Amino acid sequence: MVDPEHEGTQGDGSEQSDLLKRIVSRDRKDRINDDTTTGAFPVVRKRKPAKAISSRRTSSLKRRLATGTLVAVLCAMLSYGYVIQINNKDLTYETLTETELTRLISETSNQADRLEQRKAELDRQLRSLEAAADKEKEAENIAKENEETSGILSGRLPAEGKGIIVRISKGSKEPVNASTMFNLIEELRNGGAEVMAINDVRVVTSTYVSDSSNGLVCDGQIMEPPYVVRAIGDPTNLQNAVNMAGGVGSRLKVKFGAKVTVDVSDEVRITQTKAVQEYKYAKIVE
Amino acid sequence: MAAVLGLIVGVVVGLFVRPDIPVFLQPYLPIMVVAALDALLGAARSYFERSFSDKVFVISFLSNVVTATLLVLLGNQLGVGSQLSTAVIVVLGIRIFSNVSAIRRFIFQG
Repeated sequence: MVDPEHEGTQGDGSEQSDLLKRIVSRDRKDRINDDTTTGAFPVVRKRKPAKAISSRRTSSLKRRLATGTLVAVLCAMLSYGYVIQINNKDLTYETLTETELTRLISETSNQADRLEQRKAELDRQLRSLEAAADKEKEAENIAKENEETSGILSGRLPAEGKGIIVRISKGSKEPVNASTMFNLIEELRNGGAEVMAINDVRVVTSTYVSDSSNGLVCDGQIMEPPYVVRAIGDPTNLQNAVNMAGGVGSRLKVKFGAKVTVDVSDEVRITQTKAVQEYKYAKIVE
Repeated sequence: MAAVLGLIVGVVVGLFVRPDIPVFLQPYLPIMVVAALDALLGAARSYFERSFSDKVFVISFLSNVVTATLLVLLGNQLGVGSQLSTAVIVVLGIRIFSNVSAIRRFIFQG
């Protein structure tokens, strides 16, 4: 812009030529001063290499074809490798390094050990459970036995076996009193009677005998003579208990004038039973 | 054009031909693929910047692949193979991201 303006006024004089020189030099200085490049950032020149390449590129068609093919081949290799890689499933162990493999092996063996331990533990548990089951069975058997014996003892179950049957008729001198009857029971017990019954009443631990105006009362039932006492146990001992000299048998005969007969039998059946007593206060000691 | 054609051809060939990769090459194949991908994206960027050169692309492609493989090989020999391959993957990933963002700027003008 400056140059053509001064071009037309070039031949006017030495002053003007000095002015021109000064303007030109000022212009040059301004250009230097107005330069914005600091040197802190690299100068980017995009156009130049592009031009150079394009000029080179156009130089030979053969070369262009060759490079294009090369590019295509390289891209094909890339995508080929990619597809191969994503289709390759059994890489897991082969790509691992030695240290990773050893760690994996030790981890696996550790896990195997743990599982082995767990198995042993469970085996032990199983054995103890089996033993417990056996014990439970045994306990069940014992409980069954106990149930039978205690059932007989408590009068819950009917019983039969060797024993004696004592028949006491009505006393001719005076009616048989409760204490004598109780004596008879005690004597039979001492003689080893396991199960006893008087008329229709099963004799158990809580059985009582008392006098009343209507006769003997046993466990709330009035008993009419003749009294039939059945006892299961050793027959000889029981017989002796009743018949021994000065015992309850002779007392019944002498004092009350009652007729006492003792029959030994191999099959004394006691079918009378007693309802099970519900325990209100007593509890089993654990 | 040639690049896209080559990619398609490679995928098709890879789908139909399944060679057994040699064992010594198996740990390097993923790294090689990532390195080549980086070179390809760099080429795409230069294409958008109108400064694409076949020669530069070919050389960068090969040198990327070889350098990545050699680095991982070196790492394997030094006993830090997995870490070094991770480092290579990370660096290449960063380059891929920057290339993609440059391409995006050229496409969307911003």
